[in-house]
Amino acid sequence: MKAFLLKIEPVIWLLFGAGIMVGTILLPGYLLTVGLGAPLGLVSADALSYDRLHGMVSHPIGGLVFRLVLLALIALPLWKGAHHLRHFLIDMNVHADSVVAPLLYLIAAVGSVCGILTVLAL
Amino acid sequence: MAQTANPRAMAPAKPGPTRTAAPMKPGNWPSSARYRTYLGFDLTGLVYLLAGFAVLGAARAFAKGPDAWNALLASYKHPLWILFHLVVLASVVFVGVRFFRLFPKAQPPQIGPAKPPPGPLIHAGLYAAWIGATIVLAAILGGVIL
Repeated sequence: MKAFLLKIEPVIWLLFGAGIMVGTILLPGYLLTVGLGAPLGLVSADALSYDRLHGMVSHPIGGLVFRLVLLALIALPLWKGAHHLRHFLIDMNVHADSVVAPLLYLIAAVGSVCGILTVLAL
Repeated sequence: MAQTANPRAMAPAKPGPTRTAAPMKPGNWPSSARYRTYLGFDLTGLVYLLAGFAVLGAARAFAKGPDAWNALLASYKHPLWILFHLVVLASVVFVGVRFFRLFPKAQPPQIGPAKPPPGPLIHAGLYAAWIGATIVLAAILGGVIL
């Protein structure tokens, strides 16, 4: 397993780097509207209505961009999270990397596949 | 007292030709402020992992239809969800500020004939992209544009 993880390390680092960069750039806009703005009444209910968002998703070009952004918001933070959490546990002297690393990357991979399937089903 | 820092954690499958010393933790770990910040940066991984699954949950609710989507938005009014989203936002800002500060220093001095732009320019560009993307995404989702 360790040899396999070393072999795919460039891919993991690519997803981790994209998770830090793209995830960090995209998440605040989502959080300020869906996560905080709407619940606190700062964003109108009409703006996040199902019909309006469904119209955006159904647009031939805008819908593609919408789905890509949504997939980036799902998958990239998962890989950033899995890789950073792995290294946090290493730094905390948890001697279980042979178990922790595959488990965390498996969680990120399963979440990413679920994200792809969900975005395709919109 | 210094102690070994799990020296086998990142070791290659086969020993390399060059012998290297095992990594050692400084004696004052983890009370040092520098290490606390470093570990905090690592620990944001847990927050990002949870945030990714939270967005996945929102997307799945949207895919199920208007009733599930409206129920999700209603559930987000719960104080625990608001607290969670505030923690995620604080973590994202912490990661962004720290990563964008380190990013110019991590650039190679030269790639072929091309040299990277000056550090302050890269730094400013990253902040412009971050703030710009946040404004555009918030304006679209908030119904200000489109």
